Amino acid sequence: MDALTDLAAGFADALTPINLLFAFIGVLLGTAVGVLPGIGPAMTVALLLPVTYVLEPTSAFIMFAGIYYGGMYGGSTTSILLNTPGEASSIMTALEGNKMAKAGRGAAALATAAIGSFVAGTIGTLLLALVAPTVVDLAIGITAADYFALAVFAFVAVATVLGASPLRGLASLGLGLYLGLVGTDVLTGQERFTVGVPQLSDGIDVVVVAVALFAVGEALYVASRLRHGPVQVMDASGPYMTRSDLRRSWAPWLRGTALGFPFGALPAGGAEIPTFLSYASERRLTKHPEEFGKGAIEGVAGPEAANNAAAAGVLVPLLTLGLPTSATAAILLAAFQGYGIQPGPTLLTTESTLVWTLIAALFIGNTMLLVLNLPLAGVWVKLLRIPRPYLYAGILLFASLGCYAVNADPLDLVLLLLLGGLGFVMRRYGWPVAPAIIGLILGPIAETNLRRALAISGGDLSVLVDTWFSRIVLLLSFLALVVPIVLRVVRGRRSTPEELQETGELRHHETAAANREGGEGS
Amino acid sequence: MSGVVVVGVVPNPRGQAALEHAVAEAQRRGARLVVVNSSRGDALVDEEYLQGPPLRQLEADLTVSGVPFELRQPVGRDVAEELAAAVAETDADLLVIGLRRRSAVGKLLMGSAAQRILLDVDCPVLAVKGPPRNGG
Amino acid sequence: MTAPEPVPAPPGDVGSPATGPPETAAARAGRNNGELALTVLLGVLGVYLVVDAGSIAVPGSASNVGPRFFPYLVGGLIIVTAVALGVRVFLGDRGPADESEDVDLTAGTDWRAVGIIAAAFLAHALLINVIGWPLAVTLMFGTIAWALGARGIVRPLLAGGITSVVVWIVFVKALNVALPGGTFLELATSWF
Repeated sequence: MDALTDLAAGFADALTPINLLFAFIGVLLGTAVGVLPGIGPAMTVALLLPVTYVLEPTSAFIMFAGIYYGGMYGGSTTSILLNTPGEASSIMTALEGNKMAKAGRGAAALATAAIGSFVAGTIGTLLLALVAPTVVDLAIGITAADYFALAVFAFVAVATVLGASPLRGLASLGLGLYLGLVGTDVLTGQERFTVGVPQLSDGIDVVVVAVALFAVGEALYVASRLRHGPVQVMDASGPYMTRSDLRRSWAPWLRGTALGFPFGALPAGGAEIPTFLSYASERRLTKHPEEFGKGAIEGVAGPEAANNAAAAGVLVPLLTLGLPTSATAAILLAAFQGYGIQPGPTLLTTESTLVWTLIAALFIGNTMLLVLNLPLAGVWVKLLRIPRPYLYAGILLFASLGCYAVNADPLDLVLLLLLGGLGFVMRRYGWPVAPAIIGLILGPIAETNLRRALAISGGDLSVLVDTWFSRIVLLLSFLALVVPIVLRVVRGRRSTPEELQETGELRHHETAAANREGGEGS
Repeated sequence: MSGVVVVGVVPNPRGQAALEHAVAEAQRRGARLVVVNSSRGDALVDEEYLQGPPLRQLEADLTVSGVPFELRQPVGRDVAEELAAAVAETDADLLVIGLRRRSAVGKLLMGSAAQRILLDVDCPVLAVKGPPRNGG
Repeated sequence: MTAPEPVPAPPGDVGSPATGPPETAAARAGRNNGELALTVLLGVLGVYLVVDAGSIAVPGSASNVGPRFFPYLVGGLIIVTAVALGVRVFLGDRGPADESEDVDLTAGTDWRAVGIIAAAFLAHALLINVIGWPLAVTLMFGTIAWALGARGIVRPLLAGGITSVVVWIVFVKALNVALPGGTFLELATSWF
């Protein structure tokens, strides 16, 4: 198969000693930072972005592949051992995983998460390699209007479907879109919203916004409500997987992968929903229902696999369409742009070598993670002994480094602080941050395509619904915008993870419907 | 005599040594033992804070020793502050602490908890170095 | 939108005794005036976008959809969202405050720590080009760690100093990132 030949070539490029070293550093850094409390994968990638500035693109993306999967895995380690999910998609892992750790089966929980991540990551990356060329073939024919429709769908999905409050998601999206507007208009060269500051005419750097909203905002927010004690038990001891653990884990791994990848690959992606669905389905299918809520290994294996498969799936729209559907993917897109590479349907032809090397690096990073993490879990946990004052002072130190390294301009640091303040109040009032990042990065791309489409039609807005593709996508966007709001009015809030653990039922109408579909598909 | 002996405990040999000496002292004096195991609570994990099986082991050991005891596990302040507070509150006759072996440079940089305890506390202080010898 | 400026302290919801604890009581029940203020600011931003978009010069050569169109869209979206959200918040709807591993949602807001951190960060931004990144960052690290409750003065400064010098050497000497080291460090490492 064609894709496999390309992939083999990618492996040939990635498997040089120096690139292996970069993959290793990436995995190590990604896991180490991912393990730290309060730092999710998006923040990990944002903080480590400057590390790659100085590297040539291939090495940088090999390192990023390691950071990407490493950050994911680091997060689940903390979730299991300390019941502190760093982000929504590790909530389900934490639920049963921490119960297992408390029952002295921490090592087994870590093992099933590590192997599940590996299995899901490998299958997911393989699917990515196989699907990407096909999607690109389909995407070559899409018009600017179609692309605009896709961007709108991604906006709406990220803002309303994933967050707890659709309106707050939209507010965050609006802020991101505004930040994306600041600077010089690409098509006409006019300055917009620069309020007379010359440095703003180049636009606000994505790194500055990402580091500000994630790292600085988080540090300020934590500072405002710092937790003092109580200290937690942490126990990574106990036997690794027994034969019975393995027998109970393999099917959830595969089912989790089957749920996670498509959800990640859809523009409405994100890892949260598939992990919920995986947990719910494992709970229903298990032969040991009595163990759920007390540390059932299926409840760790499934969601963790779903999480990683979704992470691989998210790369499909990113690499084939240039469409980021998670905050982490948006920052990866910014990394591409930093190298003057614009992901999109042409990426696979123009930067073929780079993309296939990146995909090969994902396989390599994934394998390294498995080898590293089982023996090193104890070492990662030592990082959790860093006192919080030092941890957050350190986060700000790296924020300063990354932000200053972009332009060597102290004004960027002042901007970083201001935007960090914005991130702080957003967290404080429950406004999600991810939509702002997506809006910032995808906004300009959406605008360009919108104006291109309207220029061709001579300003006739009907061009936006000219093709069936854009009609369907816009209709879906409209539904994604309206349905959650209507549901909220009609049925009340979505069930919390704790309720899900109690009952095994997702109460939210929409996800319950998706659940049935997912159940048939797996 | 109904005095009080306060002891600072950490789960390691020097803490164990301090505890053994404290138990011996309490038995000799017929005193009540106040066992303090504290954490600053500023990290997610603190291996010096007793929880789970080691905690139950400690309680079992103390029960076996027959000394009336009280276990305190405050979170939030320094060991030195917590011990001084416990001594002041119980009007203790004796404080037993384990001594860390530390180089001069280490002491300069990190400060010495033992030193601050000595300065802060009003009662006699028995400083024990691990590994344990037979107390008593 | 500068953050550390206390969002107007919620004076407690209507009907609660004026003497009630200012922050925490209002944070538990009733309308969230802080978020209301944030929503109003969002609305102001939307209006600004729409108004200011009108002053973006449109070159004669531009086709019918110029550089103003998308700003109008974004401004419109922001205004509509701000109004809808404002009404919800006014009626008592509140978002789930972001949960985090190190956050105690029951604790009141420590504005002092937030203020000190913001000031320390601002100071370091202004000092970088004067005294070099490592020293500026060390001072910032020490101040922040102290504000967050680290013990002593020496230890935070020492930790910050070691971290910043190591990071500086790795990034500047090994990776060639441009980062002013300050006179002393640049002299001391010039033989690299």
